[in-house]
Amino acid sequence: MTRPPNAPRSVLVVAALAMAFLALPVLALLQRAPWSGLVDLLRRREVVQALGVSLLVSLTAAGIVLVLGTPMAWVLARVAVPFRRLVRTLVVLPMVLPPVVGGTALLFALGRRGLVGQWLERWFDVTLPFTTAGAVVAATFVALPFYVITVEGALRTSGEDLEQVAATLGADPLTVLRRITVPRLIPAMGAGLALAWARALGEFGATITFAGNLPGRTRTLPLATFQALESDPEAAVALSLVLLAVSLAVLLPTRHRWLPTR
Amino acid sequence: MWTHPSSGAILLAVVASMGATGCTEAPDDTALTVFVASSLTEVAADLTDEWASTSGVVVELVAGGSNHLAAQVRDGAPADAFLTADADLFDDLERRLLVNQATDQTADHVPTAIHDLAINHLVVARPTTGPERRPADLRDPSLVLVACAAGVPCGDAAAARFGDLPVDSFEPSARAVVARLALDEADLGIVYATDVSAHAGLAPAWPQKPTCPCITYAAASLSLSGNPFVAFLTSDRARQILTKHGFVTGPTR
Repeated sequence: MTRPPNAPRSVLVVAALAMAFLALPVLALLQRAPWSGLVDLLRRREVVQALGVSLLVSLTAAGIVLVLGTPMAWVLARVAVPFRRLVRTLVVLPMVLPPVVGGTALLFALGRRGLVGQWLERWFDVTLPFTTAGAVVAATFVALPFYVITVEGALRTSGEDLEQVAATLGADPLTVLRRITVPRLIPAMGAGLALAWARALGEFGATITFAGNLPGRTRTLPLATFQALESDPEAAVALSLVLLAVSLAVLLPTRHRWLPTR
Repeated sequence: MWTHPSSGAILLAVVASMGATGCTEAPDDTALTVFVASSLTEVAADLTDEWASTSGVVVELVAGGSNHLAAQVRDGAPADAFLTADADLFDDLERRLLVNQATDQTADHVPTAIHDLAINHLVVARPTTGPERRPADLRDPSLVLVACAAGVPCGDAAAARFGDLPVDSFEPSARAVVARLALDEADLGIVYATDVSAHAGLAPAWPQKPTCPCITYAAASLSLSGNPFVAFLTSDRARQILTKHGFVTGPTR
């Protein structure tokens, strides 16, 4: 590695330590992997089932995040919302809230005796806990903030100059949004979506608390991993490898677009 | 010194147990660390209070899933005694010679292990706010039924007793099933008899007689200083406390 003149050795050393700290657990996981029996482990019904539930839940959550999060990010970045700082704090709260607390809060809100949930059951005969839809709700709750702050950050750094020019040339607000704002935002939306999807895929605490744990319905890969740790640690490692591989497959192609584009 | 098993002490014990493989220090003579199955949380607090008042030994309790606690013990967590809901786990630990075998010489026939500390039965429970149910409701797929997961003692016992059921969620502990019922998110849950009598929000789903397959708790001393406490667990006073909490104890040894 060549050392650029602006990189002090001490900074490089600390950065290398930090890299090692992040990489070590992943390497340790790979080292414990039951490589010889891996194919058989991965063909097991419960593994295939959990992968299916995970993909269904995390992709659906990502779709909802896109639909709900894009307007939210635009409003936060462009509209003079009253108490904007407070609103933004509430938006990012699920990122720092322990997921188990998030799941409990979801139960109080959307459970069948919850604030809104009791009416969902009474009027529409819909109960979310213990259903795949409930797992999607839990995943969306924890993933949405990742998308919103990524896209909002990109909107802020890209500025409003082009949009104002388009408006003075006679474009109505929706045309500006459609022709100027959204096309310039696509890289950030992709990055935000990848982050949100990865968060949804790895979601554990809110899911087991709000949606429960049933194979084929709500048992996602992280729940199956937790379950396997109790009885079959080798299967748990195999399941972790599946999560790792799926995550890398999605995150690697977006690696150049991590940060909001300038 | 802690005068009471405070949350700080439990936190310390948990922290210690998390990274303690290299810790070989002798445990403090005046404080015991006791790992207990989560279904024993309340009765263990009473038992250790009683022990503290007679022996002067302060006990720090760490409650958790039997299987998780056993894994911590295997990894070298500094527990002086272990009260488990899974006798198989306990046999496994014993085979690994983690149960202190050398202590019979130091005291007169002090048992280092009790294989049948007490029995707890499974009960199909409902929220008190819900209607009373019938045994056939257990197999009604339109009702929300929760049970413990396989590998958790209450889950294995439920599977042995009821076989395949239309379960809607497999929970990580009996306490999690209790919470589902207490929040009225489930119609039926398979829990311990002691949980039903301890929680106002739970009732038996229908009148049930104690039936096995059931749970047999076992206790083991894991250090010299844990021996007197484990011996105390066979005393009449300890059995009274267990019985008061709804656990079934065998004939006097």
